Amino acid sequence: MSAFFQRLAGRAADRFRSMNIQTVISLSFTAVALAGILFMGFSLLLRFSNASQTQMQEQTQRLLSQVNLNLDNYLHRMMRISDTMYYRVIKNTDLAEATLTAGMDLLYEENRDTLVSIAVFDAGGGLVEAAPQWSVKASAMPEESRWFQMAMGRMENLHFSTPHIQEMFEDPDYRYRWVVSLSRHVQLTRGGNTESGVLLVDMSFGGVAQICRDVELPNNGYLYLVDRTGELIYHPRQQMIYTGLMEENQREAAAYSDGAHEEEFQGQRRQVVVKTVGYTGWKLVGVVPEGSFLGESQSWLLFGLSLVLFSAFLMAFLNFRISAYIADPIRRLDHAVKALEAGEEDVVIDDAGCYEVRRLSHSIRSMVSTLQHLMDDIIQQEAQKRRSELEVLQSQINPHFLYNTLDSVIWMTESGRNAEAVQMVTSLARLFRIALSQGKRVIPLSDELEHARHYLNIQKIRYRNQFDVRITAHPGAEGLYTLKLTIQPLLENAINHGMAGSVEDGLISVDARREGGDLVIDVTDNGVGIRPEIAAALLDEDRPALHANGSGIGVRNVHQRIRLTFGPPYGLTILSEPDEGTTARLRLPALDEAAAERYRQEDAP
Amino acid sequence: MKKKRNGLIQIGILAALGAAMIASSILPRDAGWNRTADPIEVSVVIRESDSFLWTNTRLGMEQAAGELRAELRFLTIPLANDPEAQLQSLRWEGEQGADVLVVVPADPAALASALIEAPLDRPLVAMESPVDNVALTVAPDNEALGRELAMAALEDWRSGALLLVCGSRPGTGPAIRAEAAQQALIQAGIRTQLETLAEEGDLRQLLESAGAAGVLVFEPALTEQAGALKESLDLDVPLYGVGLTASIAARLERGSITAVAAWSDFVAGYLAVESAVSQATGEDLPLEPLPFFVVRGDEIYDPEYQKLLFPVTP
Repeated sequence: MSAFFQRLAGRAADRFRSMNIQTVISLSFTAVALAGILFMGFSLLLRFSNASQTQMQEQTQRLLSQVNLNLDNYLHRMMRISDTMYYRVIKNTDLAEATLTAGMDLLYEENRDTLVSIAVFDAGGGLVEAAPQWSVKASAMPEESRWFQMAMGRMENLHFSTPHIQEMFEDPDYRYRWVVSLSRHVQLTRGGNTESGVLLVDMSFGGVAQICRDVELPNNGYLYLVDRTGELIYHPRQQMIYTGLMEENQREAAAYSDGAHEEEFQGQRRQVVVKTVGYTGWKLVGVVPEGSFLGESQSWLLFGLSLVLFSAFLMAFLNFRISAYIADPIRRLDHAVKALEAGEEDVVIDDAGCYEVRRLSHSIRSMVSTLQHLMDDIIQQEAQKRRSELEVLQSQINPHFLYNTLDSVIWMTESGRNAEAVQMVTSLARLFRIALSQGKRVIPLSDELEHARHYLNIQKIRYRNQFDVRITAHPGAEGLYTLKLTIQPLLENAINHGMAGSVEDGLISVDARREGGDLVIDVTDNGVGIRPEIAAALLDEDRPALHANGSGIGVRNVHQRIRLTFGPPYGLTILSEPDEGTTARLRLPALDEAAAERYRQEDAP
Repeated sequence: MKKKRNGLIQIGILAALGAAMIASSILPRDAGWNRTADPIEVSVVIRESDSFLWTNTRLGMEQAAGELRAELRFLTIPLANDPEAQLQSLRWEGEQGADVLVVVPADPAALASALIEAPLDRPLVAMESPVDNVALTVAPDNEALGRELAMAALEDWRSGALLLVCGSRPGTGPAIRAEAAQQALIQAGIRTQLETLAEEGDLRQLLESAGAAGVLVFEPALTEQAGALKESLDLDVPLYGVGLTASIAARLERGSITAVAAWSDFVAGYLAVESAVSQATGEDLPLEPLPFFVVRGDEIYDPEYQKLLFPVTP
């Protein structure tokens, strides 16, 4: 089980880690806010519920106190009637000389709204007098009634009966009245002698029922009245209880002390408030079902739910907006940095969002600017370095050749071959003019071929025409441009190595042509050729030069210059067959004037 | 793409929360939770022209109506036990907007066939007598009651035939009680004479001429009449009846009526309205037969009986 939860937690953590910042902020804020709202909602609901319960309890107690007061008044009134009857009428009447009728009737008439009857019995249960003037039923035996026995048994007290049907008197209307009987022992005077008797005051129980019935307790609560033994005196559904169709917990309630209690009856928890009625020992029991506050207040619950939902809606909306306010600039910044990583140049870095994000954007922008400057500096330095390397390479060609040529001119001048010396000097001048080319690295192919021609003219004079020369520019190659001084080192190599061993019929040809997007220049000699291992070593810059006179350096320089300028696809290839000859093939991009101009601009300092 | 998806999710969450909030605000109003429901109108049509005997039943009905927020109309018919008039009253009450009807059927069979021909568009609850196709009947177990009353008569019987008098049509509660009592007595080997009265005057003739060893009647009105006749004719014949009104109680006490089978009319009335309201609201309320007991004259003031038989009235 724990492994399952660990896996679950791990997945959740993974999921959390893979979320974007806005989702994390939104979810976290919303979850915390929702938890807070729910906690507060439940706290308030609980508090409200508790307060409501307390309020209900207090209200029930107040109502019970009021009912108790009313009952007390009701019973007190009975006691006053009884006292009046006894002390004002009975005590002042000698039954041998007068009757109780006048006083009794007067008292009855004054209180007939609540009184059912007043009667006086002698010690044997015989009726002395009654108001109204009913007779006792033949079957009735008052002396066996509980109220009679209680009065005779405890003479000092007043005795309240539980409600009962008053069946003792003949009622011509056949009315069966529910009464509460108040009985007391009295001293009757008859012929100057006193004798025991019982005064019975019957008050309508309807009054008691009315007092209890009109009470409305909270939450459909109700009130009932029991005597000290738990016998029901009043219950709003007492007929149902008597029939057995309902049950009440009155026996338990009769044992409760005054105050609030909680009980569970027939599966329902309920608050019970008990109050003892004075004089009688009866108990008023107020019953308020618990839980009805929530059960019956669905609209309140929904109102609370609506408030919680509204708060959640508001919080979610605010969280989404706030998280977007925080996360959007960060996300844009992230995209900008990714674009920069991908090499885009015109990347816009927003200056929006919170202070910290703006500061970060500013810092990144500043950093990018610094990097760009640094990169520009590096590029410039690299270009400068390359130029320097080229110049060094180029400078490796000239002194050697110049020395040999000038040496030849001196030799020809001394030997009187002035015309040839002039031709050689002219070619040399022309050669240098093209070599200089106003400092341009990329020159027209025609100039480069012209340069080759002048160089060969010089060499032919030096070598006494031991070889022929053929320079051809094929159609399509006329307007192209090339890197300057690329052919001359190859010619020099062909002359020094290819023609070195040949006596006659030497031929050196230069062939320029266009192949697709490339310019291909073949420099071919029909000399002794080069062994394959030497041909391979010629272009390997990691190997030392193979010839003592260093002419291999020129060939390798050409190759390196082409590759430095145009990249690895281009350069020099040596094709040689021993005793057959050698072809040095230059491959360069076919540059038109516009492309050549771009290279020239790069060369500008 | 991811941002768009997140935006859609956010809009979805906000829409769901907003919809739930609106629903929780509107629902109580539309569902009527804040409204106090209109009271359920309950019309009661008895089979008699005088409601005097139904006083305690009405008390029970009124208490139930008060507790269940029902509005009660209690109707008699011009001529007692007139099924036609009773049916007209029921239909009239239905048309006048009563939500549910309670009937003490004058003629259960006639009412059942009339309802088959033209059903009432209101729920109906029967009292006293079961009616075909009416689900709820508030009544004691009439057969058991008849048997118990017969057993009470049997306890006092010494010799001779017993006269059983029924004042209601066949199929009514009183008729069922009478038939059950007769069956019980026959099984006990006692001769019986079951008479059904067409008119009020017939009872006097029967009592004077029958010379029975005992008389059993099966409804409160007839019990009151028989008790009064017995006293006025000074007959010395045990009388057994049904129901407990003030005059029956007085005659029980005086010995004019030997015993009655009784139930709490208050409870009957309460249950009738409670059942009616449950029918109107579509609730399923289980209903048991009313508990009854046989009480003799010297028992009516026993605390348990007096609580049951004499409802507390203001």
